[in-house]
Amino acid sequence: MNAIAQPLKKANRLKTSSLNNKMVNDYWTDVFNAKAEGKLVCWYEGVAINPLMQAADIRWVHGEAWSALLAARNNEQEAQTAAEHRGYMKELCSYARTHIGCGVLAQNRGVEASGSSFSDALGAGKLGERIPAPDMFISAYPYCSTGQQWDEMLFRLFGKKVPIFNISVPWVWGNKPDAIYLGGTEFNEAKQYMVKQLRACTKFIEEQTGKKYNWDSLGEIMSYTKTAGRLRMEAMELCNAKPAPASFFDWTTSLAPVNFIPGGPGIVEYFEKTKAEIVQRIADNEGGIPQEKYRLFWDGIMNWNKIGWLANKFANYDANMVAGRYTHMGFWHEHESIDLNDPLEGMAVNYLVCPINLSAPLMIEQIIKLCKHYEIDGMVLHAARTCRAFSNPQYLIADAVQKRLGLPVAMIEGDMVDESFYKDELVNSRIEAMLESIEARKRVGIAA
Amino acid sequence: MSIDAIYSAFERAAEQPLESAKAWKQTHGTRVVGSFPMHFPGELAHAAGCLPVILQENHEPITVGHGMIYPFYCGFTRSVVDQACKGDYDFLDAIMFGDHCVQVLGAADVVRAKLPNTRVHFYQLISSMSDPWSLGRARETFLNLKEGLEEMIGHPIDEEATHASIRLFNKNRQLLRKLYDLRRAGDARITAKQMQILVKSSMVMDKAAHNDLLGRLLAEIEKTKAISQRGMRVYLSGHFCQSPKIGVLDMIEECGGIVVDDDLYHGQRYISTDVDETGDPLDALAKWYLERNLKVPCPTRVDQNADWENYLLDAMERSRADGMIVLMAKFCEPHMYYYPEIKEAFEKRGVPHLLIETEHELNSFEGLRTRVETFLEVVKRQSAARRIAA
Repeated sequence: MNAIAQPLKKANRLKTSSLNNKMVNDYWTDVFNAKAEGKLVCWYEGVAINPLMQAADIRWVHGEAWSALLAARNNEQEAQTAAEHRGYMKELCSYARTHIGCGVLAQNRGVEASGSSFSDALGAGKLGERIPAPDMFISAYPYCSTGQQWDEMLFRLFGKKVPIFNISVPWVWGNKPDAIYLGGTEFNEAKQYMVKQLRACTKFIEEQTGKKYNWDSLGEIMSYTKTAGRLRMEAMELCNAKPAPASFFDWTTSLAPVNFIPGGPGIVEYFEKTKAEIVQRIADNEGGIPQEKYRLFWDGIMNWNKIGWLANKFANYDANMVAGRYTHMGFWHEHESIDLNDPLEGMAVNYLVCPINLSAPLMIEQIIKLCKHYEIDGMVLHAARTCRAFSNPQYLIADAVQKRLGLPVAMIEGDMVDESFYKDELVNSRIEAMLESIEARKRVGIAA
Repeated sequence: MSIDAIYSAFERAAEQPLESAKAWKQTHGTRVVGSFPMHFPGELAHAAGCLPVILQENHEPITVGHGMIYPFYCGFTRSVVDQACKGDYDFLDAIMFGDHCVQVLGAADVVRAKLPNTRVHFYQLISSMSDPWSLGRARETFLNLKEGLEEMIGHPIDEEATHASIRLFNKNRQLLRKLYDLRRAGDARITAKQMQILVKSSMVMDKAAHNDLLGRLLAEIEKTKAISQRGMRVYLSGHFCQSPKIGVLDMIEECGGIVVDDDLYHGQRYISTDVDETGDPLDALAKWYLERNLKVPCPTRVDQNADWENYLLDAMERSRADGMIVLMAKFCEPHMYYYPEIKEAFEKRGVPHLLIETEHELNSFEGLRTRVETFLEVVKRQSAARRIAA
């Protein structure tokens, strides 16, 4: 079990991932060019409301996506330090700290920073400083109170001069006995409340652009989004094959097209190719890791500083992270609910059942289904230090999968974009203990 | 009753809130409805014939609760989980809550799992206060809460009973505010600890009984002439869901601070705003919910019409405070978000403040004392310099 004694094995990442990198770079290039091209820029966090902006020809900066990119490209430090100097503490959501830090840097930056291209800023290690300042904020954060407060603090940081619109996303808790996943009195009421706010948001957007809202464009964007969502889910579901042709880490890398990349033929083509690669791998009996001995489930958000590192770490343990709450329970996973003639309700449904917005009993049922579908042997719960939204139900989830499915679990601590919370040796020992436990179960013939 | 005896009665309820509620239930046969802080209107539960009790962080070390929640959560959240795991809430007939602080939501899921036979109901209050639909949404939420209570008691809540509860709760807030006024004006010597137990006991006691004791206390205080005090006038800010440790409050006063005012939840924040006693009670409660945030802005809400930092600067002036001590519960995200705004505004205005981060497990108390002593010395010198300059 000792990782050091083993020859190093690496994850067999999907080849289509490289297309994702290009889309991400093109997208941020467009964002950086927004001001020069006379486009408005919206800063927002939380659920994927970007189709609303795209239909109005606005460019958008998703706070989490931006902070994740900074971390993945080792550009997060400057923004985090700027936030810390202003008084934001380390225990605050690291996404928020990084994004707000960019706001602080934007206030302080010199004239030379304006008009900087994405590639120039990346080359100079100045991505955080040079992101275009917002012309508006839209807040639509599910479950986590911190999201709405994060937008509010950005609004205040920019002197309360940039217009802000708040969408309040109700938590799917379930007071009434009829509460079920995607149904029940409260869920239906929450859906209508969301639709009302989304419609009001389009009015807000009209006020900012001075143009009538383009509903036809929204329908067209959502048709691509819906198709991309379907293809992604189909591709992921195929990964119940043994060996699984891709891992949770591949699906994490592939979130951008269903999270913030503009809805268009590009995102559909991306998932068509991804699915084709999955199908081909299954035909070739090719796994997402060189040798699949264990099939694991990842609960929790991603550690963006460590994505490649973790993918290889688990590959080296012959452990394929086949599925996860983050990837499989969100990002247009309920694509069937989207009616292209009137997409707001379907959008609301997807926002309401995103991976953090279900109360524990409803969430656990969905996780159990996934664990069964993917024939999972064990669960890794990533306790992101500054993301209580994801960490909240983890003891209940761990308890449920241990009792109901007999799965061994490993709880590891880390973070989304603050590398300092990750302790590699602790992670190693906990994973190894879990794998030992899976081995023991296999020896007595009770593993999946 | 002597002043000491009255304070002792308040203290028993404040320090043993669950025992106090349990005793009330046994004696009076009423249902007990627990709620999480900070915006739950106890008036409706009271009108339903229940004893509303705001659940408190207790002083016990967190033990079994560690098995259900991570350590990087605020003391209140961890303590609530710990109490639920230890069966302390088993006597409650319901837990109803409306605030959606992410950490409290985590605790709520655990509490519901640990209390399978108890109604643990969530009525999510809109936390964005200045939207066109904020008032209407707040009313809808209170209507849902009322219906939830009615379902529990098996009959409708009488409108006149709701008006009576509103009047009773208003009276309670008014009496407590009177004590604040007396302290601020220097007409009554009420320590920070005493003020905390007065407000905290109000959160857990029957309001009529609390009003009765407050009336007696005021009568006794009015008989006594306050002795003028020497020391630096201190304003306490922060600490939302959980009450500050009594030891910290005592230490601030031992170091020469006189706490003259606060915006603590276990203080002014809880009692700041009355509910309109006329008209539709749900309309009145919805209005109260929004107005409350303008009276004492809360960082757990987002409100374009309220600025907490300006409120604090004005409150400091009103209470003629020399310095402000910010008590921040470790891991409290709303407070961590807003603190830089306060820091900036206070530094810009040259008003001294000290940030103290507090924990459920109180560590390095002596280190804290040194920081407070130093801060009060700085405040003293600055005040002296200002007087000379004037």
